[in-house]
Amino acid sequence: MIIDWEAFLHVFVAALVGAVVVVGFYALGLRLLVRGGRPPVVAPAEFTDAITVLTDKQRRRATKAAAKAAAKNPLSEEQKRLSLIAAFACFGVCAAAVLGALLLILFNH
Amino acid sequence: MESAALVIVLVIALALFFDFTNGFHDTANAMATPIATGALKPKVAVLLAACLNLVGAFLSTEVAKTISGGMIREDQISADIFPSIIFAGLIGAITWNMLTWLLGLPSSSSHALFGGLIGATLVGVGAMAIDAGVVLSKVILPALIAPLTAGIIAFTVTKIAYGVTRRYDMKADGRDGFRWGQIFTSSLVALAHGTNDAQKTMGVITLALITVGWQSSSNPDPQLWVIFACAITIALGTYMGGWRIIRTLGKGLTDVKPAQGFSAETSTAATILASSALGFALSTTQVASGSVIGSGLGRRGSTVRWNTVGRIMIGWVLTLPAAGAVGAAAALIVVWLGGWGVAVDAVIAVAVILGLFLRSRRDEVTSANAMSEVADSGAAVKVPRKPGPTWRQRRVERQAAGRGGEGDA
Repeated sequence: MIIDWEAFLHVFVAALVGAVVVVGFYALGLRLLVRGGRPPVVAPAEFTDAITVLTDKQRRRATKAAAKAAAKNPLSEEQKRLSLIAAFACFGVCAAAVLGALLLILFNH
Repeated sequence: MESAALVIVLVIALALFFDFTNGFHDTANAMATPIATGALKPKVAVLLAACLNLVGAFLSTEVAKTISGGMIREDQISADIFPSIIFAGLIGAITWNMLTWLLGLPSSSSHALFGGLIGATLVGVGAMAIDAGVVLSKVILPALIAPLTAGIIAFTVTKIAYGVTRRYDMKADGRDGFRWGQIFTSSLVALAHGTNDAQKTMGVITLALITVGWQSSSNPDPQLWVIFACAITIALGTYMGGWRIIRTLGKGLTDVKPAQGFSAETSTAATILASSALGFALSTTQVASGSVIGSGLGRRGSTVRWNTVGRIMIGWVLTLPAAGAVGAAAALIVVWLGGWGVAVDAVIAVAVILGLFLRSRRDEVTSANAMSEVADSGAAVKVPRKPGPTWRQRRVERQAAGRGGEGDA
């Protein structure tokens, strides 16, 4: 009876690398969005008990606070633009990683 | 020959029914977190899960090949009895599945299926018909390792997600944005579910086709119509199961933050997809639970509620032998009574399914008997409302205290 321990290692490493790339770059992208003066304010889609839900008023206030913080941003316009571009590049890396992984599964039989 | 054809038709019908219950049962795994964090509206979430399960079922058939081409040695068994044995195994799986569902016990559809098949084969044919090496390396070990793997990965990426977006100046940290991300990661989980769970039914049907010689054993790939049937059935089950969740939502879910949900889902999807690509048949429920626990632990100051973890684990360990016992009992009836045994089994199966169905209709659907185990496993980790300071804050505090001390002296 031969157990292919290497295959388990493959799964672990592949999954770890995939997850770290996706989460890491997504988080970095969000960080850069904030740095570029556009912190995302995303209201929950529907009310549930399990979450703290923003009312419309709270959401407007959060958006305003975000805009205010952005106005006080010490970065120049150029730096902000660079941050935003970098942020979207990060999201792009996430999407590419996911697509690449799916293609690998599809064509690697 | 005609009776063999009849048995095959029964096997296919029962396998598809199992597929349906699997989708029905597992919608919550993929979609409980995005609904809980408010990333998706329940209706959208359920529809998305159904569509992606359909796509996922076509993506990879490695897991189906594990079942149809490796687990059971086709050359050791005779064509006239084996379809009935598969039938018995399926009865074991479905009975156990529905029973645990009704009792609210944590279970795994996949392990119920394997348990039923193995139990029935052991009794109906004998130990030589089972390839213990394949069972150990592709079913049992992945079952033990995968949740742990997913947990470790979820822990790591949760740390990363919180670390990268952490701010000390109380300004917006952008973590709301993880809610967008969750739409994609939960879709990936649904896709991954299709690549692993729909495959199991395909594997069983293909195995039945091979044993009666309708398909060559040298080519264990599922046929196209089998893939289509299973994909559509699991998608349908997912869609139908969703309405149950919508009714019960808002109760029994633990507090999951978007960043945490995003991390947990990414690690679930990554683990399942990587395993599917190598043909490991694992329980998607267990992987998702492992991820939820791991990501809970990744949050600052969290502690494990070991008795909840213990309860979940016992359910997992119990599934394989329990479904095996039911499958073995059903196989025993076939061995004793032959063709009549199949009929008796079929009657018992219909009675069990009908009885449980009626029983479930009579009961109000509550959070206790309808919520997913994944949401349950969130309760296994205790996260404080106000977590302690980060290491950086501690360092700053220490330095301040040190300076204060010098001033006093």
